[in-house]
Amino acid sequence: MENQQVGSIHFQIDFSQPLYEQILDQFRSSIAKGEIDLGDKIPSVRELAQALKINPNTVMRAYQELERDGLTEKRRGQGTFVTASKEQVDHFRHQLAGKYIESFILQMENLGYSWSDIKTYMDKKHLGN
Amino acid sequence: MNAVITCKEVTKTYGKKKALDHLSLSIPGNGIVGILGPNGCGKSTFFRSLVGLVKPDSGQMKILDRKPGWKTNKDIAYLPDRARWYPNHTVDEAFKWAKHFLDHFELETAIKLADYMDIGRDMKVQGMSRGQEARLMLILCIARNVPLVILDEPFTGIDIISREQIIDGLIDYLQERNQTILISTHEIHEIEGLFDYSIFMDKGTAIWSGETETLRAQYGSMHQVFKTFYKRRLERQ
Repeated sequence: MENQQVGSIHFQIDFSQPLYEQILDQFRSSIAKGEIDLGDKIPSVRELAQALKINPNTVMRAYQELERDGLTEKRRGQGTFVTASKEQVDHFRHQLAGKYIESFILQMENLGYSWSDIKTYMDKKHLGN
Repeated sequence: MNAVITCKEVTKTYGKKKALDHLSLSIPGNGIVGILGPNGCGKSTFFRSLVGLVKPDSGQMKILDRKPGWKTNKDIAYLPDRARWYPNHTVDEAFKWAKHFLDHFELETAIKLADYMDIGRDMKVQGMSRGQEARLMLILCIARNVPLVILDEPFTGIDIISREQIIDGLIDYLQERNQTILISTHEIHEIEGLFDYSIFMDKGTAIWSGETETLRAQYGSMHQVFKTFYKRRLERQ
């Protein structure tokens, strides 16, 4: 696991996992959590690739996906910026939360838990913590 | 993706030793390809045969859809292992030489890279450290705008600072061009993040290859895979 600080953003890169997903996930969560402010500039593809020692194509692919998420926007000649719209980030966050819950429920169902089992299990877990 | 290089059953023997043993592989274009394996696995012989310095005993080899030879060499920038430059040249003189003799050498790119990799242009090769000379050799190679770049062990015997500068230089320059770059190394850890495609070689043959991200998802880092592979091999012996 390699830790890297690039500008204001902290990255943890694990070379035993696909790099594209790590970069994408770390950006998504930093933006969703508000670690990167709305409207902030993010590092250029070259800066990030050099800091993390990874292929610029990989960074570029992750940046394209962030743009499709609506989390960032490119400004001609200036670089890439986090969207200034809080609604956009909230929307993305809700979408992602929905996806996580769906996949969680699916996995639990595959283990043979019913919805009421899952609820009981989660209540217990919540109280336990 | 179109293959830039294809090999079918390529064999090359030196006396009794098979440097390449029915090597078959296909390398996709536009990206960085890691050719990985321990010393003596056939990496350098493979590279030399790509530029026609070694003639295989049997098998077929194609680069950019042609047989290796002087015609394909115009389109290949090759950095041999242990490469050296004329000791009495300055960096500027080396660039002038390259401009005259190397196809598609771009002086402006070379100057930019020299600046970026911290190589003074009035510096004489004689007075250079091993790492500085290695950076110069790399610049002479990658300042050529050709479809295929072959770097044989560009990091061997070079200090970490130079290695990082070389990697940064490669990243810098990769963004501007569509090329295939083959890099052989056994110092995988520092550079594995750059590989789009990885090929593991052992005893003159390709034992494993694929998109690096796919390999990573299945088996972990190239560094780990490398260790597992060759440890197993040592245990068998």
